[in-house]
Amino acid sequence: MHFIRSKLDTFAGIGFVGMKKYLKIGFVFFFLVIAIWSCEKKNSRFIYQKEEVENLDSTCIWLGERKNFYKDNFMPVFYNYYNSKIAGKKFEDAATALEIVSIKKAYFSIYDKEFVETINNFSTNYRSELGFYATTFVDYYLANKYDDAGDFKKAIEYYSKIALKEPYDFTTCKNIAYAYYNIAFCYYSMGDQDLALKNSYKSLDYFDKIDYPIGNGYAHTITSLIHAANQNYTLAIKDNEIAFKYYTQIKDTGNVYITLFDKIIIYEDSNNKKMYPLIDSTYTAFTLSGIKNDVLKISLNSYYAEKLLHDGKISEAKKILDYIKPTVDALNSETSTNEYITAYANYEIAKNDGPINTEVILKAIPTLIENENYQVVISFYNALKDISLRNNDYKKALFYEEETQKAIDSASSKEVKGKVAELELSHKTKEKINQIALQKKSLSSKNITIAFLVSLVTGLFLLATIFLIRQKQKKLNLDKQNTQIYTKQLLEKTEEERRRIASDLHDSVSHELLSLKNSFEQKSDATNRKIDSIINDIRSISRNLHPVMFDKLGLKSSIEQMVERAQSYNNFMVTESINYKSGLSVSDELQVYRIIQEALSNIIKYANAVAAKITINETNTHINIEIIDNGKGFDVAQTLSQTDAFGLHNIIERSKAIGGNAKIESDKNGTVITIIIKKA
Amino acid sequence: MKILIADDHPFTLQGTKSFVESYGYNEVDTCSNGISALNLIHMHEPEIAILDINMPGLDGLDVARKVHEGKLRTKIILLTMHKELSIYKKAIEYGIYGYILKEHAQTELEKCLEEVKIGNKYASIYLQDELIVSENSENNALSKLTLSERKIVELISQKLTSKQIANLLFLSERTVEGHRSNIIEKLGLPKERNILLVWAIQNIKK
Repeated sequence: MHFIRSKLDTFAGIGFVGMKKYLKIGFVFFFLVIAIWSCEKKNSRFIYQKEEVENLDSTCIWLGERKNFYKDNFMPVFYNYYNSKIAGKKFEDAATALEIVSIKKAYFSIYDKEFVETINNFSTNYRSELGFYATTFVDYYLANKYDDAGDFKKAIEYYSKIALKEPYDFTTCKNIAYAYYNIAFCYYSMGDQDLALKNSYKSLDYFDKIDYPIGNGYAHTITSLIHAANQNYTLAIKDNEIAFKYYTQIKDTGNVYITLFDKIIIYEDSNNKKMYPLIDSTYTAFTLSGIKNDVLKISLNSYYAEKLLHDGKISEAKKILDYIKPTVDALNSETSTNEYITAYANYEIAKNDGPINTEVILKAIPTLIENENYQVVISFYNALKDISLRNNDYKKALFYEEETQKAIDSASSKEVKGKVAELELSHKTKEKINQIALQKKSLSSKNITIAFLVSLVTGLFLLATIFLIRQKQKKLNLDKQNTQIYTKQLLEKTEEERRRIASDLHDSVSHELLSLKNSFEQKSDATNRKIDSIINDIRSISRNLHPVMFDKLGLKSSIEQMVERAQSYNNFMVTESINYKSGLSVSDELQVYRIIQEALSNIIKYANAVAAKITINETNTHINIEIIDNGKGFDVAQTLSQTDAFGLHNIIERSKAIGGNAKIESDKNGTVITIIIKKA
Repeated sequence: MKILIADDHPFTLQGTKSFVESYGYNEVDTCSNGISALNLIHMHEPEIAILDINMPGLDGLDVARKVHEGKLRTKIILLTMHKELSIYKKAIEYGIYGYILKEHAQTELEKCLEEVKIGNKYASIYLQDELIVSENSENNALSKLTLSERKIVELISQKLTSKQIANLLFLSERTVEGHRSNIIEKLGLPKERNILLVWAIQNIKK
């Protein structure tokens, strides 16, 4: 048997050049994609989406068009462009052109010395400039070169360079998938079906990650062929049918027929009776489709001829064989010729009239043996034996009989081999099932691990965020504290200054006036009264600046003094109830004094109240201060928003500065100011 | 009779000393701070010590307190620029005998020394300025009353009950009742029903 290997002209696309920028995408993102994909594989079918193809310059577009490839100036145009770009150090452009041409050359299996040298030269001198991912076409071209020459080991070496990388986008993923596909084909050609299958599965894995149906078609085709080679026909048919679906999906008729032809071969190998109807329908469809593919034409017609012979339509079969004879001669392909010969030999045996052309039959046999198609060999030898008996050539008849026996032995040994393989497979299947169960288990545990890791990462992230917010909060609190400390210091400094001025006035100026008063030789009442009144003025200025002997008298006495003065000077009724010993520092007491002073002065100035009351109550933990009046009240919020509400802000800020909290409530029945200070 | 004078202002100290000597007191000792004053009091036990309040080290009040606590026989007179009632009240707590203002020393010191000498107490008449309200001189009867009492009379004239007055002035009803009987007594009104209301309506101008 033989299969037609699908040639890949779409490999790599033209998207290499634009790739580098995608490398910049951060690791975190990549990690996230992997994590999400692992957890929710069902939801997103493809990991890598096709990216935009970069705009190419006119020369590259021209090089890319298939019709230009056979033109005489194709290579000169390329070399001219390539060399000028290399000279101008525009390596990316040079690589783009080189890539386009190398793919074309590989497709048409052209490995001329000059171009191979260009590729090698590029590889050694400029590849490092562009990085590995942007230049995998070099490995691809060289791999194809060895592949074509039948040096599979060397070819695998080059394909592996591509295959063993990690994908990060559509194109890299596609290239890796193709590399595995080619490696699978190499192993298949070398007869190592185990390795071939492993690589074809890998290829399938990677093609599944991208939206690229033809790749899936190719990968299933090679998988089907490997199964067939392993005589695992059920799986072979299954993969063949999947490949068929992919090809029809993208309307790739050439590959559709190749797949159908492959299926016929699998049926033939497995002695499946479905073969003949399949040949019939494939042949009819192919003839109607008008596809011009000589290889397919010969193969399908040969099979169709055999089908006709099988149906007893001998003359029709002859017609078909005669029809393809010129094509067979023109194509001059060993494989196609062998197909024709086998079909023709079958016809010779089947035909009833005229002398049988034994030459044709003998010519077909070696290929059949090579392809292990023993059933046909047996039938051919039997036919030859019959002919020899008919011609009374016993010697030849005996030789054919011996050959028949050999073929039967080979067939049975093949059958036994198949049986053994089958048993082995069923055993392996069982093992596989166990393994799958095990993998599923580890996968689910892996998923749990991933979920755990993701939640851990999220948790850490949250923790970090919380930590940062905390830090910020702390800083804000610290700022607030600093502002408060600053306000307090400012207030204390102001008090200090006022105290100093007050005592200067009181001690120095008053005493100067006093000695002035006593220095007059002639005492005059008028002068004395004047001086006394100045002394009294200074007294009142100084006590307004700072309560007299505050540290000595303490808060309670000082407030009582304040209340008395309000009564006598302002004729305003104030009562007080002070239960306070010494819960605050002197400087804080002074602030309390100032707060009450401010509140009282506001009441006298604006409230129009009948009376007011000041209450201080000291508990174990707090000092509670309350200033009430029964005045007309005011709108607290509105007043606070005004810029001239200095008095109220004064109360609030001073309260804060000594670690307290002021609350101001007011309505038409009066105002209540409450200040609660926590003891230090 | 020994007298100690303490003041940190040298001119005032000299002035005071010459005043005191001019009144006929010859054993006069002086110092310029509270600590020396206290030491001298301990050492010489003068009968009278005339102290300024604002002094370095110990102030006049501190010295008065220590003398009071030590039950020393020296009688303290504070001679100060401070005209605060709160300070005067504090000083009273420390058992001082005299409190006069420096600017009125000329007129009051002699009288004060005489009173204190015989064991009486003397407080400057000018301290009362703090309590006397200058304006209401129209009604002589009203000027006898304190501010609270005047307020209460005013509110009574508006026909408010004791409870309403108590609420308005942030006082207890009992305090108001107490004030009422004090007012009646101060005004010398006869004990009749609603006598204060009648009086208030008649005497308070709207």
